[in-house]
Parts: sequence; C-alpha cells; structure tokens
Amino acid sequence: MNTRALWRHIVIVLFLLFMIVPLIATLIFSVSIRWDRTLWPEGFSLDWWKAVTSHSAFFLTLKNSFIASFATMFCLLVLVTPTTYWMQLRVPKGKFIVELIASFSFGVPGVVLALSLIRFYSKVPLPIVNHPTILVAACMVLSLPFMYRPILNALEAIDFRVLTEAAQSLGANGWITLTRVIVPNIMPGIISGCLLVFSTVFAEYTLTNLLVGTRFKTFPIYLVEFTRQDGRQASALAVISFLVAWVTSLLIIWVTSKGGRETTHVIGR
Amino acid sequence: MVINASSNHRTKKSAPSSWVVWLGLVPFFIFGLSFELLPLLTVIRSSLTSKGLFTLEFYRQAMDPLFLRSFGNSIKLSATTASLGVVFGTLVAYAIITTNNKFLQNALTALSDVTTNFGGAPLAFAFIVILGSTGVITLILKEIGINLYPNFRIYSISGLTIAYLYFQLPLMILLIIPSLHGLKREWREAALNLGASGFQYWVRVALPILFPSLMSGFLLLFANSFGAYATAWTLTGSDVDLITIRIAALIRGEVQLAPELADALSIMSLLIMSACVVGYMWLSNRARRTRA
Repeated sequence: MNTRALWRHIVIVLFLLFMIVPLIATLIFSVSIRWDRTLWPEGFSLDWWKAVTSHSAFFLTLKNSFIASFATMFCLLVLVTPTTYWMQLRVPKGKFIVELIASFSFGVPGVVLALSLIRFYSKVPLPIVNHPTILVAACMVLSLPFMYRPILNALEAIDFRVLTEAAQSLGANGWITLTRVIVPNIMPGIISGCLLVFSTVFAEYTLTNLLVGTRFKTFPIYLVEFTRQDGRQASALAVISFLVAWVTSLLIIWVTSKGGRETTHVIGR
Repeated sequence: MVINASSNHRTKKSAPSSWVVWLGLVPFFIFGLSFELLPLLTVIRSSLTSKGLFTLEFYRQAMDPLFLRSFGNSIKLSATTASLGVVFGTLVAYAIITTNNKFLQNALTALSDVTTNFGGAPLAFAFIVILGSTGVITLILKEIGINLYPNFRIYSISGLTIAYLYFQLPLMILLIIPSLHGLKREWREAALNLGASGFQYWVRVALPILFPSLMSGFLLLFANSFGAYATAWTLTGSDVDLITIRIAALIRGEVQLAPELADALSIMSLLIMSACVVGYMWLSNRARRTRA
C-alpha cells in the first residue's frame, strides 16, 4: 500500500515540476539582471519590464490583440447563439451539418486554413485580403467550436422547449424569447464560450502571421519579434501572455463550476 | 374530390413550414460556405488543374523526396509526442484519480485544463529559458556533470518533442480521466479473487477495456501536433523541416514554387489531419457508448 502511495506521489510531483518550472523560470528570468552564467540570477531588477512597456508598439499590439479577440467574440456570439437555439428547437435534422461547420477547424491545420482563405479571397472581388477583416473571419473559424460547444451544452441542460412555450403563451415573439428568456438561462455557457474564444484569439499567431503579417501587429507577433532580438524583454512579454491565459482559464473554470452545479440540479429533477 | 382537396390543403400548409425552418440556419450556412467550404474547394480544384485541365501532376511533384522528408518529420514528431503523451498522460491521470485528496484532484485537473491551451510563442520561449544553451536546467545539469549540449539542442526535433509534451500531456489527462473513472472497482476485485495478479488485471482486463479511449486519445494528440506551427516556428525558425513550416514558407513567398504545389501539399496534410480527427470522433463515440 505504501509503495503505491509513494509511486503516486512521485508521478504527481514530476508532473507538477514539468508543468510549473517553465513558467516560474520565465518569470524569474524576466526580473533578473543576468541569468545565463550562474545557477541563480546575478541580481534582480525591473529594467526589462520598464524597457518593454516603454515602446509604443507594446500598447498598440496589446490593443490590436484585444480588438481582434473582442471582434471575433462578438461576431461568433451573434452568429452561434440564435443558430444553436433555432437548431435545437426546430431543425434537429440540421445538427449534423451545423456540427460539421462548427468542428471544421479541428481537422484543418492552421496554415491550410490561411492558405485557402488567401487563395479564395484574392480571386473574389471582395477586398479583405491583408485586412484585419479576414483575420477576424479566420479566427471565427478557428474558435467556432469553443463558442458552439458550451452554448449547446447549456441549452441541452435547460428545458428550452417549456421556456419557449411559456414565453410565447405570454405573447413574446421569437426575438424577445431568445434575448430575454433563453440567453439569461444559458449565461454560464455563453460566458465560458466567450472566454474560451478570447484566450484562443488572444494567443493566435499562425493565422495572424500568414494573413495580415505586419499590417496588423498583434501581441504574439510582437513577442516572436522580440524572441529573435532581445530575450530578456521577450521574457516579460511571455509572462504577460501566460498571465492572460491563466486568468481567462481560471475564470472559465470558475464559471463552469458554478454552471455545472445548476446543470446537475436540472438533470436531477 | 373534396377529401382530396382538403388533404392537399393540409400538405401544402405543413410542407412549407418543414423547409421554412431551415431558413433560420441560413446565416450560419453562409458563413461555413464562404469561409470554410468555398476556400477549401478553391485549393482542391487548383491542386488538381493545370491550364484548365485535370491533372495529378502537382501531387506527383509533391511526392518529391524533399517534401516526403517534411511529411516524414511531421509524422515522426506527431507519433512520438502522441505516444509519450498517451503513456505518461494515462499514468498521471491514474495517479490523479486514485488520490484521496479532493483538493489535489481538482487542482491538477484545473492545471491540465489551463495548460493544454498553452502553446505558440510564449511556450517556446519558456523552453528556451530552461533548456536553451544557457538555460537554467542546462546549467544545473552541467554543474552535476551532465553536458546536454552539443548533443541535444532545444532548437531541434528532440527539443520540439519536449515542448509539445507540455500541451499534449494535459490534453491526454483530460481525455482519459472519464474512461479511467469507468473502470469499476468490482472488475479489479473479481479479477484478483479469481487469482489474477495486479499486472494480469491491467494487461488482461483494464487495458483491453481502455483500448478504444487510448487509441482515440492517440489520434487526437497526433492531429494536435501535426497541425501545430507557431511553437515550432518560434523555437526553430526554418531549421526544422516540418510540413506546416514548409507550407507557411510557400505562403509567405520565401520559396518560389508553383502555387499549385503548395495547394497539393496542403490538401495532403489536410487529409492526414482530418483522418485522425474522424478516427478520434468515431472511437471516442464508441468508448462513450461502452461506458454508458
């Protein structure tokens, strides 16, 4: 029994070390004066942080990443929520095609998605190539499953048919039913979908690099530029990326754990 | 005649409503058409035509040893990180679900949840910090007499393998935990009562039951690594010859080649990746049904 417990502790400790050491090391590296000759940093300073945040490009790229993330999030929300609700309510036969469209990005490498969009839209008289619009469209394709899944799960967990009938017998039209009755009831799903989309698009590099390149510099593009120029400033940027990813993920876990409790309650009934 | 008319009337009334409801899905279908299907069809068509005629020429060119090596490297890297991910992910997942400490269980699952979405530039950079030629782990190992360099380089395929494991391992943990929960305590007890050893229980009972889940996990991890680009590009630039790196170089115009050749290479990697994802979906559905 003791050897089994020992075995388990060793596995868990090794796993924790592997997952946490790279993050901690990057953080320490970003506040070290020098850490490439000695086992422990030769001193600490915030110089790299000051230097990296003093560039005007720092705030510009941060802003661009936020713009891309929020635009993608908003467009997906408007597209996916009514579609999923309508599909569940009236067109269950359409589920297969909807899921095929929603899971497209799982089966397609990012570089292939970028290539196909460039090929198609350079032939079509729609001037969106090299424009942030095509980036938002591509990010929508990429993060579509992350919006669709939580919303579908939230819808399946509530009695949307009864709610719809109740709303309509009280005189609500389809739009009011969706926005005033259904949406508030699937809020945990919508919020975790939005957060998942946000963290995906905020960290997106492949599509941005290939579709808009330097015309619309986002935070990850800026970070990669620095890894080639100045490792210390890059480490500060990497820490910021990790922080954004951690905060959004912890928010998702928090939201879904709250939503999860309600879900089991509904099923229990 | 009268009966006929009335039945006609009823079908007319219900027939439209059965297809009218599909109109609600039209915006979504237009999105899928304009940003997924049509762009993809353009690439497929362009890879198969030359001067308006059907040809397999570009696929023949894509079979050049140069490109086959890129495919080989991508497949090798994906198979390695997927196998290591399956083995160690299952091991860690088993350790997680058998601890009695509820807090530790939740914390480790949450950690996997967060880290499986990590990747790209920041992850690549973190590994340079610890395992680069002057990285902290490199220095520590040197201190105790192990010289990683020059035999190992983080900017190489073996370096990439370690970096990819950072997101493969947590993904496998999340995928396999439900299946491990599906192993009933009674099965183990029954096997042990019938005289089996713990090892025999694993080999003859548990692993065969887990097999579809392990296989589906392998396929998803394989696809996850096969399509990855950002981590490899940040870590190694064009040093490592992966197929995604090569396609990206063709898109950026760093290498001058027929655009149709890039299309053919894209379609080939798309086929490999989507075959894995379809296999994953099929197997994981089967595993879920067995559990239920």
